[in-house]
Amino acid sequence: MADTSWWVTFPQMERETLVGFRKALDGAYRDFSRSYGDAIEAFFEPLLFFLVWFERLLINAPWWAVLVVVCALVFLVGRSWKIVAGTAVAFLLIGYFGMWKDTMSTMSIITVCTLIAIALGVPIGIVMARSDRARTIVTPILDVMQTMPAFVYLIPVVMLLGIGKVPGVIAVVIYAIPPVIRLTNLGIRLVDRDVLEAADAFGASGWQRLVGVQIPLALPTIMAGINQTIMMALAMVVIASMIGVQGLGQPVLRSITNQYFTLGLLNGLAIVALAIVFDRVSQAYGRRMQLQYERISNV
Amino acid sequence: MKILKYLIAAGFFAATSALVTAPAAAQSHDCGSVTLADMNWSSATFIANLDRFVLEHAYGCDAELIPGDTVPTGTSMIEKGKPDIASELWTNSFRDALDAGVKEGRLVIAGKSLSDGGQEAFWVPRYLVEKHPELATIQGVIKNAGLFRNPEDPTQSVLMGCPSGWACQISVENMAKAMNLGDAGFIVRDPGSSAGLSGSLTRAYEREKPWLGYYWAPTALLGKFDMVAVDFGSGIDLEGYVNCITQVDCENPQPTMFPPAPVLTVAVSDLAKRAPDAVDYLSKRAFTNAFLNGLLAWMEENQADGEIAAVHFLNENEAVWRPWVSDAAAARIKSALASL
Repeated sequence: MADTSWWVTFPQMERETLVGFRKALDGAYRDFSRSYGDAIEAFFEPLLFFLVWFERLLINAPWWAVLVVVCALVFLVGRSWKIVAGTAVAFLLIGYFGMWKDTMSTMSIITVCTLIAIALGVPIGIVMARSDRARTIVTPILDVMQTMPAFVYLIPVVMLLGIGKVPGVIAVVIYAIPPVIRLTNLGIRLVDRDVLEAADAFGASGWQRLVGVQIPLALPTIMAGINQTIMMALAMVVIASMIGVQGLGQPVLRSITNQYFTLGLLNGLAIVALAIVFDRVSQAYGRRMQLQYERISNV
Repeated sequence: MKILKYLIAAGFFAATSALVTAPAAAQSHDCGSVTLADMNWSSATFIANLDRFVLEHAYGCDAELIPGDTVPTGTSMIEKGKPDIASELWTNSFRDALDAGVKEGRLVIAGKSLSDGGQEAFWVPRYLVEKHPELATIQGVIKNAGLFRNPEDPTQSVLMGCPSGWACQISVENMAKAMNLGDAGFIVRDPGSSAGLSGSLTRAYEREKPWLGYYWAPTALLGKFDMVAVDFGSGIDLEGYVNCITQVDCENPQPTMFPPAPVLTVAVSDLAKRAPDAVDYLSKRAFTNAFLNGLLAWMEENQADGEIAAVHFLNENEAVWRPWVSDAAAARIKSALASL
């Protein structure tokens, strides 16, 4: 009788075909990497140079200078003494427990990653908000970026660029950028239609409508997106250290493999402290911007 | 409500019939349930899958693979007695804990998985040695430090070390200190993970760029890429290696090459009591590095996982595995292979 094994087991591709398919794609990528690898590396040279310079700046500067500058920035941006005090205490504890150098490395790379993510994400979110077609194209890409296991897209990146800071930045940005894009899109789309009509009635141009009405009203949602982006960037610290990025991720990896619980806990708490400082500062900045807009509108 | 009653009755019936049929499925010489550690590198997963197949089909064990890694599995076997078998345990780093476990009667060393022992070294690609023959020695490497520039800091040269958490990370750092590689401008780079280490070597080899770093045999990568082990010129100082180089607090490390690493099959002592013929098989089962390198290269080329490699090995290399099992067990293995 006919072979009815397909009734029970899924009729899958012949193993040879599947292996041949996989090898063909691997081979094609290898050829691509060999021909364009050097050009792509050269493209990322300036970014690498900046990352190395920034990290060295933070590590080699005296710790009290870095602490003072960070607290000053936190105050200027947030205008809240509570946050400044919390930041100072957190950094002093981090230094006291011997995690200063790793924290400076992580802080330098994560700062650059979050700035890149915000600088790229907000404009993409705005474009998505204005065009339904853009949204249908971008949304599945965001889904892939958020759920594809990081090592899947890291393998080709490592084959192309080696291990180090640039693949780390690429990994973190890919993982961290979707929240800010999605929430910027959402915030702008949720702006009340009546308010937009009023702006049009007053003769606002497209740009004036965007900058004067939509962004200010969408600001709380955009700030939520930035908050999530910062959190996810810091969550990627450990995965980035798996491709050779220096920082807090490496002691965490060591603690996982060697089962040193306290080492992992302390470094994990340092990552949490960084996340909270970044987040409170950006939230305070967002609130100040909102107050500014409210003040203008209440005139 | 009626449907609910029917569903409950059906479920009860199904459960009882499952309970009734389960014991009938067990083999006559039942060795019980056995867990094996499946570690995440090619040779380990191959041997673990091979052991699982043989234990299941030849010795009637209910064998199951669970993920593992050298230190966590070793610790778990000593402290908790689970998993039952670690098929390829690299013991050079935590020999003390292992010996203590054996002395306390918790573990037995069933045999050597790698009859040659693991071969660890600092490697350079052969195409590089052909251009600069002096790179075969560490002095030549130091003189040519300029070849191994760090792209992130051109004043440094890179020796790719072991990922965070691997026991060899300590050894590599101590060896670099012992040979004053730091003075020659070398830093020991942490690749972060096994994938990072392999990726860095693969990338350099594919582009014929210089690379210097730690690697070990038997592995698919060394089976695929022709590399030369750098000679430190110091021979092997076993005592210095065990007492100082592998320890974090080594004050004054002295140069020594890596001794052959004992790679053992370790089982919990309880297993020796309930499945003595399985342990007997484990004691005989051993591979040479030359054979494994070839098999691992086959695995890599055919993108085979441990299970496929184990079946391929059993089908193709009967001469190798026949002496490890009794005639009856061999017959059972062959019939299991035929019915696949």
